[in-house]
Amino acid sequence: MDVAADGKSGLDLATTYHYDLVILDLMLPILDGGQVLRRLRTENVQVPVLILTARDAVADKVGNFEAGADDYLTKPFAFAELLVRVKALLRRGPVSRSSVVRVADLELDRLAQQVRRAGKRIDLTAKEFSLLEYLMSNAGRVLSRTMIIEHVWDHSFDGITNIVDVYVRHLRSKVDDAFDPKLIRTVRGVGYSIGHGAQP
Amino acid sequence: MMNTRSLRFRITAWYAGLLAGTLIVFGASVYLGLERYLDWTLQRTLVAECRTISTELLSQLPAKDTAWLETEINEAYAPEVNGLFIRVVHQNKGVVYLSGAPKDGTFDPWRIPFPSDKEMDGSRKLQFESGNRLLINSMTLTTPDGNRFTVESGAPYHQIEVVLHGLLLTLAIYMPFVVSLAVAGGYWLMRRSLQPVDEITKRAEGITSTNLSERLPVIRSGDELERLSMSLNRMIERLDNAFEHINRFSADASHELRTPLTILQLELEGIAQNHRRDAALGDQIGSALEETHRMSRIVESLLTISRLDVGEVKMDKSRLDLGELAVSTAGEMKLLAEEKSIGLRIHAEAGVQVVGDRIRLQQVIVNLIDNSIKYTQVSGMIEVRVGREGNIAVLAVSDNGLGIPAHALPHVFERFYRADKARSRASGGAGLGLSIVKAICAAHNGEIKVSSQEGRGSSFRVELPLLPLFANDGASAALREI
Repeated sequence: MDVAADGKSGLDLATTYHYDLVILDLMLPILDGGQVLRRLRTENVQVPVLILTARDAVADKVGNFEAGADDYLTKPFAFAELLVRVKALLRRGPVSRSSVVRVADLELDRLAQQVRRAGKRIDLTAKEFSLLEYLMSNAGRVLSRTMIIEHVWDHSFDGITNIVDVYVRHLRSKVDDAFDPKLIRTVRGVGYSIGHGAQP
Repeated sequence: MMNTRSLRFRITAWYAGLLAGTLIVFGASVYLGLERYLDWTLQRTLVAECRTISTELLSQLPAKDTAWLETEINEAYAPEVNGLFIRVVHQNKGVVYLSGAPKDGTFDPWRIPFPSDKEMDGSRKLQFESGNRLLINSMTLTTPDGNRFTVESGAPYHQIEVVLHGLLLTLAIYMPFVVSLAVAGGYWLMRRSLQPVDEITKRAEGITSTNLSERLPVIRSGDELERLSMSLNRMIERLDNAFEHINRFSADASHELRTPLTILQLELEGIAQNHRRDAALGDQIGSALEETHRMSRIVESLLTISRLDVGEVKMDKSRLDLGELAVSTAGEMKLLAEEKSIGLRIHAEAGVQVVGDRIRLQQVIVNLIDNSIKYTQVSGMIEVRVGREGNIAVLAVSDNGLGIPAHALPHVFERFYRADKARSRASGGAGLGLSIVKAICAAHNGEIKVSSQEGRGSSFRVELPLLPLFANDGASAALREI
C-alpha cells in the first residue's frame, strides 16, 4: 500500500504501478481528486476508485460517477463503513472500459451506440442502452438497484422501487428472450448481474 | 342576534345596570332633598308671614279696626290670588280676619279647622278630598295690651308638588336616555378595547407548524393585553422549540442509522455473492437484504424530510423551465405507467420559469407521478399539466384512480401516513413520498394542494413562485416551439 500526499504524486503512482484499489480524496494539493480521476480514466487505468469527500450534494455525486468513480463515501464516515466498501470494491475486480464490451455473444459498442447479440442488431432506447452498458461494464458483479439508479437515473428516482425492475424486464425481452443462454440474472434482495454463468 | 354570553355584552350590561342604579339613587336623593328643602322653605315663608302679621299689623290693632287689618293683609299678600290661607283669631272676639277662597278653588277657608292645642306654635298639614294638601303654620301672640291672637298662615302644597313632578318627569325622561347613551358608548368602547385581542386572535390563527418562527404583534400597553400577547408568543416559541426538537431528533436519528445500515447492507451483499451456489442461504440473505434496502430508503427519506424541515439542506438553486423538467421526467416515467397500461399525458405551457433545485423539483414530479401510478387501476389515465396562473407556476398531476377518502385527505402529507395500510404496504411505499414533496415545496416557498373524490381520482397541485418573463425569454420560448 502506498500513500500519496498530493494529487500529482498519487496520479504518478496509480499510472505507474498496478493497484487493486485507489482511495481518492477530492481535496488534494496540486491536482485535485476530480482531475486525478479523469486523468486516470483517460489514460485507461481501470483500477476501482473510491472517492472520499465532504460534499454530499447530489450533483457532485453524479458528476463523479460519470467521471468513472466506483464508489463514494461522504465525510464524516465510520471506519467500519470504509472497510466494507473497500471489501465490496475488491470483490468486484477491475472494470473494463474499452469502447466495445462483450459478454458471451452479446456485444455493446459504446462509440457506435450499438448492441448486437449473435451478430443480430438489437434496438434499444437510450435508457435501456445505459442500463445494459452499466451491467456489461461490471459483468459478473451483482449491482444493487440503488447503484443502478445512481448510475443510470438521477437520484430523484431513488424512491421508486420498481423502475429498475421494469427496465430490466424490457431489456430482457430484447436481449435474452430470443436467445440462449440467458445472460441477465436476478439476485434476490440485491439486484441484477450480467454474466456467462447466468441461471434462468 | 346578540351573543348574550360575550364579554362585551356582559360588561356593557353590568355597566348599564350600575349606571342605572346610581342614577336612580341619585335621582331619589335629589327628589327627597328637594322636597325637604321646598317644604322647609315654605314653612319658613309661612312663619315669616305669621310673624310679620303679628308684629307689624296686630300690634297696631288696638288703634285700628278689623277692616283696616283686612285691607292691609289683602294688600300685602293678596291671598285669593296667591292661593294663600290667612286667619287671625282673637281669643275673645273670634275670627278677626279670614282670607277669601282662592281663585283656583283648592280649598275652602271656611272649613279649615282650628288648630288644637298641640298644633299651636307649629305647623300642620291638611289633606283635602280633592287631593290637595295645605301646610298651615300657626302662632300665638299676646300684644302688650293683653290681647291674645292666633295667627295662621297656610299655603297649598300644590306648588311644591308641581316642582317635584317636574323633576320626576325630567328624571324619567333623561335617565333612560343617559343610560342608553352610556350603553352604546360602553359597547363601542369595549369593542375598541377588545380590538387588539381580535387582532391577536387573527394572527394566532394564521400560525401553523410551517411558520412557527413568526411572532404575534406585542401590544405595548403595559397591561393584561401586553401580558397576553407576550405569553402567547412565549407559547409559540415553546412550540417552535418542540417542533425543532422533533425535527432535529429525526435528522440525528436517521443520520446515525445510515452508517450501520450501509455496513449491514454491504456485508450482506458480500455474503450473497460469496454463497452464490447455496440457493437456500441466498434466498434468506436476499430477503434480509430486501428489508435492509427498505429500511435504508426510509432512513434516507426521513433524513431528507427532517433536513428540509430544519432548513439544513443546501439547495442548488438555479433558474429552470418547469415545463421542460416535467416533460423529461414524465418521459422517463412513461414505461412505469405503461406497465399498468396507464396513459400518461403531459401538457406543458412554454416558458414557465421558476428558481429551484433541479434534482429536488424532479423528485417532486417523480414522487407525484409514482404516487398516481400506484393508486390508479389498470388502463387508467394520468395527466401532468404545467402552466402559469397570475404570478404562480402550477404543476398539476391528476389521475382517475382510486382517490382518497375525505377523512384521509388532511393527512396525506403527514409522515408515514397511509390511507389504506394494507394496500400501500404491498405497493412498497413507507408513506414518506408525499411528505418529501411537501417539504421540498415549502423549501421553494411553494405550496402543495390536494383534491380528491374517492373512486373518481385525485389531483395534486404544486404552486411555485413564477419568475417573470423577460423580453429575450419570449424569443427563446418561441424558438423552443419551432
